[in-house]
Amino acid sequence: MKSLALLLCLSLLPLAASAASPSPEELLRQYDAVMGPASFEAVMVMTAHREDGSTRTYRMKVMKSGTDRFRAWFQEPAASRGQEMLRVGDNSWVYMPNLKRALRIANRDSFQGGDFNNADVLRTNYTRDYEAKLLAEEEQAWVLELHAKTEDAAYDRIKLWLSKADGVPLKGEYYTVSGKLLRTAEFTEVRDFGGLRRPARVLMRNMIVTQRFSELTFDRFELRDALPNGRFVLDDLGR
Amino acid sequence: MWTLFTVACRNVLRNRRRTALTLAALVVGVGITVIVHGFVNGMKRGIVVQFVTAATGAVQVHHAGYVKNVLSTPLSLDVPADDAFLSRVSHVEGVTAVAPRLQFSGTMSVGDESLFFTALGLDPEREQAVCPRRALTRLPGSTFKEDADLLLAESLSSAVGLHPGTEAVLLAADRDGALNAEAAKMSGTLLALGPGEARFGQVSLAMAQRLLRMEGRATELAVSVKDLDRAPEVAGRLRAELGPEYEVHTWDEVAPVAKDAMERMGNLSSTVTTVFLVLMLLGVANTSLMTVLERTREIGTMMAVGVRRSWIAALFLAEAAVMGLLGAAGGALVGMAVVAHLGRKGLSFVPMGAKGVIPIEVHPAMPPGELALLVAVAVVGAALFSLYPAWRASRLRPVQALAGN
Repeated sequence: MKSLALLLCLSLLPLAASAASPSPEELLRQYDAVMGPASFEAVMVMTAHREDGSTRTYRMKVMKSGTDRFRAWFQEPAASRGQEMLRVGDNSWVYMPNLKRALRIANRDSFQGGDFNNADVLRTNYTRDYEAKLLAEEEQAWVLELHAKTEDAAYDRIKLWLSKADGVPLKGEYYTVSGKLLRTAEFTEVRDFGGLRRPARVLMRNMIVTQRFSELTFDRFELRDALPNGRFVLDDLGR
Repeated sequence: MWTLFTVACRNVLRNRRRTALTLAALVVGVGITVIVHGFVNGMKRGIVVQFVTAATGAVQVHHAGYVKNVLSTPLSLDVPADDAFLSRVSHVEGVTAVAPRLQFSGTMSVGDESLFFTALGLDPEREQAVCPRRALTRLPGSTFKEDADLLLAESLSSAVGLHPGTEAVLLAADRDGALNAEAAKMSGTLLALGPGEARFGQVSLAMAQRLLRMEGRATELAVSVKDLDRAPEVAGRLRAELGPEYEVHTWDEVAPVAKDAMERMGNLSSTVTTVFLVLMLLGVANTSLMTVLERTREIGTMMAVGVRRSWIAALFLAEAAVMGLLGAAGGALVGMAVVAHLGRKGLSFVPMGAKGVIPIEVHPAMPPGELALLVAVAVVGAALFSLYPAWRASRLRPVQALAGN
């Protein structure tokens, strides 16, 4: 009799949970809508802080179109001026003005020597890259666990905290396949960019070399209805 | 004492056939031991010379903390590579030449293929002075003179389908982390000095400095010295000259591969020679015991005429020692003849199981001290292994011994 009651309780438990919480897929779509809306133009500033205390700041103009096209123009520092990056689907390139050539870059390589990787910046569509699972519910946040569907994803496993109130990301933890913690992120300074409320600053801490961290801030962020396709092809780089 | 020795010698000469057999065992045993030791000595020296003259240089100078952090961000721990600094290093007593190097990692792009690789930027002329045998690490036909020359390990060039004469673009994060690229032309293929060096390449120092935006800088200074055995003293003088901002290492500290290989070789040779020596000495013990059993009557006679038991034991020990000395001397002569011959000729040796690795030039050698030690071990060992037969001889009872049982 006792065991029957327990069985009943156990079988009702998932029902109770699903009634209260949104589906993980829904939460992930919400994350994408905030962090990587379909088409936008923005000015991003990335500052890398290194273990010797030195910093380096990169300023770039970026454009995103659809779910898998991204382009960036570096404006500062002088050493990077004229460099461009392009992502189309699973492929990413950097354009080097001194050689007038585009070179393929790997998704998981460091983005300009900072603690973000290339995919963190160029490949912001999580729905496409990850399988989501609701891990826990905290007072303020939903905790999602994401598993990469493809090797091209930025990380193998991510733990993501999304605000219950408005779905905005609060923090993230990024792991290797073996479960080693590589990076942690904090999403702060939520601002209204023309109707889209999103964090204007992401702080990425390097958990391997713990004195290193990088910040990515948005100076400008404008949603667009559509951007010309001609800007997202290799031939357009350097023009 | 002298009587004991002359009697022992005469006894050794009495049964010529047995003596000859025992001596043969000793000559073969000691001879092989000398050859194995000589070969291992030559091998160790060969490995060291190989690493020092084809890769590391005898001594290396880095920015303090570089070697410990070599896996994280070594570019920020750099050293000057201008003429003034290099001449300061080369004027230290015992230094013959100095070569700046720049080690970095990045991506190599060929067409639409990209591959991670690590590379060493070298100044062709200065490098030649410090590592004259570096040419050995390049496949015949390779050149390394021009600014854009790129040498690649075979595993790397075949992975991207690159052939000599074709172009590759090197992409790397500079000293501050910003990306930069340079175009290079493959000019040859590198061979590995040891197993485990897979995806590496070499470019000119000038190109590496441009790529990493580090003009006039390097991550490493390789130093050659007059006398390799005195490298630690030169390293000490360099430390004193350059101060705490720099760290100075000798070749064995920066090439643990070579050091490990040497230790393994040393262990192997000790095991082999120990086995040979023990087998040989067991043979000696066996003959000794046979002699005692055969010469029971003689022992009885000696005892009957008043020879002391201790003298009899000493006689048998002396016989074994004389035999040991003769056999060891013969073995040493034969072994040394072989070692000296191979030492002059030199052998080319490829480490076991290593493919595409440069053979090591081995000149077997045997220092006199080591040879004397081996002979001493054989003589003392022969005596020690005859302790039991000698003790048995001294314990015989005269009457029974005279009766021959």
